[in-house]
Amino acid sequence: MLQPFFEWMQGLRFSAFFLESVWPTPIVQVIHLSTVALFIGSVLVVDLRLLGRGLIDQSISELTRKVQPFLLWSFVVLVLTGIPQMSSTALKQYYSPFFWWKMGMVFFGLIVTFGVRRYIASKEEGYFGLVWPKVIGLTSIALWTSVTIGARLIGLLS
Amino acid sequence: MLRELFEWVEAFPSSLSLRESLNGYVYCLTAHVASMGLVAGLIGFWDMRLAGLALRGIRVTKVQSGLFPLMFVGLGINAITGILMVYAQPMRYYPNFWFWMKMGMLVVVAVNAAYFHMNIEKSVDKWDSDPIAPLQARVAGYVSLAFWFGIIATGRMVAYSGLVPQWWLDLGLGS
Ligand code: HEM
Repeated sequence: MLQPFFEWMQGLRFSAFFLESVWPTPIVQVIHLSTVALFIGSVLVVDLRLLGRGLIDQSISELTRKVQPFLLWSFVVLVLTGIPQMSSTALKQYYSPFFWWKMGMVFFGLIVTFGVRRYIASKEEGYFGLVWPKVIGLTSIALWTSVTIGARLIGLLS
Repeated sequence: MLRELFEWVEAFPSSLSLRESLNGYVYCLTAHVASMGLVAGLIGFWDMRLAGLALRGIRVTKVQSGLFPLMFVGLGINAITGILMVYAQPMRYYPNFWFWMKMGMLVVVAVNAAYFHMNIEKSVDKWDSDPIAPLQARVAGYVSLAFWFGIIATGRMVAYSGLVPQWWLDLGLGS
C-alpha cells in the first residue's frame, strides 16, 4: 500500500541531492545521533523519577514540565533529520523489517511519553498508586530502547 | 609502536574468533549505540545543570547523585562494547582518522571531569542551590557538552574512513 509513496520519495530531487553529494548525509546522521542522546536523556530523567529514582526531590509534574521543552524539541530535530535519511534510502527502508519495527515503536513511544506519562504527571502524586507510575516508566524505557536498537539494525542488517 | 600493539592484538586467537563471528559486531555496535544514549543523555543533563541550561531549580549534588548511578551502568556497557569492537578489528581502527579524534576527545572529557571533581567540586556546598553555578563550573559544563557532542559525531564518522583530510591519508597508516 505504501510502496508507491516510498518509490516517489526515492525518486525525488531531494533524495538525489543526498545520494550525489558527499557531506550532507554524514552531517545529518551526526545531528540525528547526537539528538538521540538528548532525547533519550530527556525521556530517562522523567522515567527514572517515575521509578522512584533519580531526581526524587522534584515532584513528577514539576520535573515533567522542566524537561518537556528538551523532549519536544529534540523529537522535532529527530524527525527533521530522519526524513532526509529515510527519503534518500526509501526503498531500503521500505523493505527493512527494522525500519517498520522502529516506526511502530516510535508510535507507541509517543503515546506513552506524550500521552500517558503527561496524564500521570497532571495528577497529584500517589493518585495512581505506587505501581502504575513504575509500569509506565519501565514501558517507556523499553519502548525507546527498542526504537534505538531497531534503528541501528536498519543500517547493520538491511 | 602503537602499530605493533594493534597488530599484536589482531593476531590473538580470541580477536580472530570475535572478528569472524557472525553477529559479534552487530551485537556490540547495537549495544554500544543504545548505551551511548544512556551515558551521553544523562551526562548531558548533568552538564546542562552545571552550565545553567537545564534543571536549574534542582541542587547540583542532587542532580549528580540522581543521574550518575544509571549513567555509570551505561558507561560500563558502552566501554566494554567499544573495547570489544577495537579488540576484534584493531587494524580496521588503527588507520582511521575519526577513531583517533574520538579517542582524543574521550581523554579531554576524562581530564575535564577529573579536574572538576578534584578542584571545582570541592566548594560545591557554597553554590549547590544556585541556579547559575560559578564561572568555572559553567565552563566545565560547556566543555563537557561540546566534547561529548564531538565524541558522538566522530564516533558516527568512523564509518566514513575515506572522508578525512588529505594529510592524514598521506601518512599511509592503512598500508
Ligand atoms: C519519526 C522520526 C524518525 C525518522 C523518520 C527516523 C529515521 C531514521 C533513518 C532513516 C535512519 C537511518 C537508518 C539506516 O539506514 O541506517 C535513522 C537512524 C537512527 N535513528 Fe532515527 N528516525 C526518527 C526518530 C528517531 C528516534 C525518536 C530515535 C531514538 C530515540 C532514533 C534513533 C536512531 C538511531 C540510534 C539511528 C542509528 C544512528 C546511526 O548509527 O547512524 N530515531 N533514523
